[in-house]
Amino acid sequence: MSNEEIMVSRGSTSSRRTVRKAGIATIALVAVLGLFTAACSSSKSSDDTAKPSGPTKAAWIYVGPINDGGWTQAHNRGREDAAKALGANLESTYKENVPEGPATAQVIDDLVKDGNTVIFATSYGFKDAMQAAAKKYPEVKFVQATGDDITINGASSVSSNYDEYWGAGEDTQYLAGMAAGAATKNNVIGVEAPFPIPEIIRQINGFALGAQSVNPAATVKVVWTKSWFDPAAERQAAESLVASGVDVIFSHQDSPTAGEVAKANNIPWVGYDSDQSAAYPTVWLTTAVYNWGPYYTEKLNSIRDGKWSQENYYGTIGDEFTTMAPFGAIVSAESKSAIQAEQAKAASTKSFGWYWGLSDREDQDGKVQIKKGQTLTLKDLYTMSYFVKGIDGSPKG
Amino acid sequence: MSLASRVGLRLEPRVDNPRWMNWAVPVCSFIAALLVGSIVLLITSQNPISVYQRILERGFLDTGSLSGTFISATPLLFTGLCAAVAFKVGFFNIGGEGQFYVGAIFASGIALSLGADAQSWIAVGAMVLAGTVGGALWAFIPGILRAYFRTNEIITSLMLNYVAGIGATYLIFESDSFWRELGGTGAVFPKGKIIPLSAQWPSFDLGNLVVPFGLLLGAVVAIWLHVLQRRTRFGYEMRVVGGAPSTARYAGMRPARVIVAVAMLSGGLAGLGGAADVGNFRHVLDPKGLQQSGFGYAGIVVAALARLNPIAVVFVAIILGGITNAGYALQGPDFPAGLVGTLEGLILFCTLGGEVLVRYRIVNTRRQAVAS
Repeated sequence: MSNEEIMVSRGSTSSRRTVRKAGIATIALVAVLGLFTAACSSSKSSDDTAKPSGPTKAAWIYVGPINDGGWTQAHNRGREDAAKALGANLESTYKENVPEGPATAQVIDDLVKDGNTVIFATSYGFKDAMQAAAKKYPEVKFVQATGDDITINGASSVSSNYDEYWGAGEDTQYLAGMAAGAATKNNVIGVEAPFPIPEIIRQINGFALGAQSVNPAATVKVVWTKSWFDPAAERQAAESLVASGVDVIFSHQDSPTAGEVAKANNIPWVGYDSDQSAAYPTVWLTTAVYNWGPYYTEKLNSIRDGKWSQENYYGTIGDEFTTMAPFGAIVSAESKSAIQAEQAKAASTKSFGWYWGLSDREDQDGKVQIKKGQTLTLKDLYTMSYFVKGIDGSPKG
Repeated sequence: MSLASRVGLRLEPRVDNPRWMNWAVPVCSFIAALLVGSIVLLITSQNPISVYQRILERGFLDTGSLSGTFISATPLLFTGLCAAVAFKVGFFNIGGEGQFYVGAIFASGIALSLGADAQSWIAVGAMVLAGTVGGALWAFIPGILRAYFRTNEIITSLMLNYVAGIGATYLIFESDSFWRELGGTGAVFPKGKIIPLSAQWPSFDLGNLVVPFGLLLGAVVAIWLHVLQRRTRFGYEMRVVGGAPSTARYAGMRPARVIVAVAMLSGGLAGLGGAADVGNFRHVLDPKGLQQSGFGYAGIVVAALARLNPIAVVFVAIILGGITNAGYALQGPDFPAGLVGTLEGLILFCTLGGEVLVRYRIVNTRRQAVAS
């Protein structure tokens, strides 16, 4: 530290001249940049002009790096699948590690300048910038993952060139819950999850109902890590769950840290959004994974055919938006076939949430929240803020 | 140092400081950065000329580019001033990041509590004040710890960044706080309340160029700081305390007080930046977006490149803002984000590395040893 201190404080004693000189230096830098443009202005690139009947130019905006081993990686794989499917008809690009806020608008402006006519944004925090851009650029289509305005406020609350997409992760969590329910011996399953918000709450509810469907005595104990990605907090949460006596863990987190804890204690583990069967073969059960490729392909094809209509896509097991990661070796053949049968049943409904209304569903206080035979709407799912009976933990955090 | 002396090289402070070096060195090191960058680009089979051209176009020259650059530059301007003013007295405030968050919390808090009926100038003025006070209070902690308890402010101010980040996250994600929107889509995903229209800072549309009020305010503050440092008694005390604390004590100054005052001034500047970020652009307390941006840390780079000079901070912030925006424009399947980072890093590394040569000269110790 002392070296730095000397250097910096020396700088501070330098005379008043530095002011002018630093100013001059910066102007000089600009001048150098100016020289560069002057030298290069002759070689204007041609791809700035949008071709009317060429490939569709589409862009993806990611909040994380494309190799994050989870959310962003899955979206980028979806982009690659779409690129493969559309071939020469699609020219795709992406921007990774884009911060939410003013920077998002900059990135969108740039993408539009580059001639992109379809923009996918894959983080909830991009939503406001996407909606503002949809008003600013009516000729460009803006498609927002995990958006909720159409569901909550109606399609009229946003521009017609903007729509939203997401999918029923809770349905595949129900299937994963079946594996966990079959695996637990003392009937206590531990769950660690990031934040007490409806998206997570409904996935935990789905998971718990799945576990109870094969093991009515199963209870689920929830701890909140208060972070999407924080290996240290995730480890701590998993260890506290193990210490409290759970014998199966489900980690709804972006890192596989809970798998380490499960491995050390040799107890079955359900991960999230990423197949970890190879890395944790002795404890791996399964998990829900998302498959964005078919949606992107279909969306882009319909836009190319001039058939854009604002939609509020909610992917299901039926359209293979959400599927199960490969089962681990410790999943019994009996449990596997039960899950596969349920999965086939889910697929045949061509919708989401086939299980919510199988019986009266009570919340933790014994109040009936879902009546037998009731189908939940997207709005019901998007605003679900209670835990079903059999969950130990607070849906308020 | 030890490695350098083993190969026979040593850095020695320059006694005379030739005037031409002050501009020649940065220009040369910038050109060096472009050349080294070209090699990296050629290795990765990119065309350096078109890459540099694109940086220039998307950062500064295209229609609307400069307006975008001003948006990115505004927070950097304030955090740059925050670091510059503190480093100058040897108070290494790494806490601009956290002070920025606290400024954003205070400013959004006051804007929300004044409500939609407040007159615009009152709301904006209150946000300026609240943001500054918030940042100053947050910096007061490491300031007082350093001045009176000799605690290392690098550690304390850095740690307080995490505390501020967790605090902001708590307000939006983990509690039903005053800042949090609980109705509408706020029931689906945690988010802050949007500040009323009357509290949203204006931007001035000059035809092709949009200048945010926050940037103008920052530029005025930079000039004020320059005057404060050069023309006032407090500025003189800052210079003496920064250069020679013991001299300051003999001269009857109270270095501890000066340090606390500077810490608060520095924190206040970052806090004002947080207010500008909420007021001019974000219009909401967004802990996730704030923490992804890292304006406070980038401000340290701005200050170093500006040689801790407030006026220079304005220009460096705009240049870095432009380079940041251009960086996003470069990225894509054929141009990985890592390469953008490498290129930006090279430019910063070379220009900062060059700075050493302005103040020090390289002496060949082996030759000296032979001579003596």
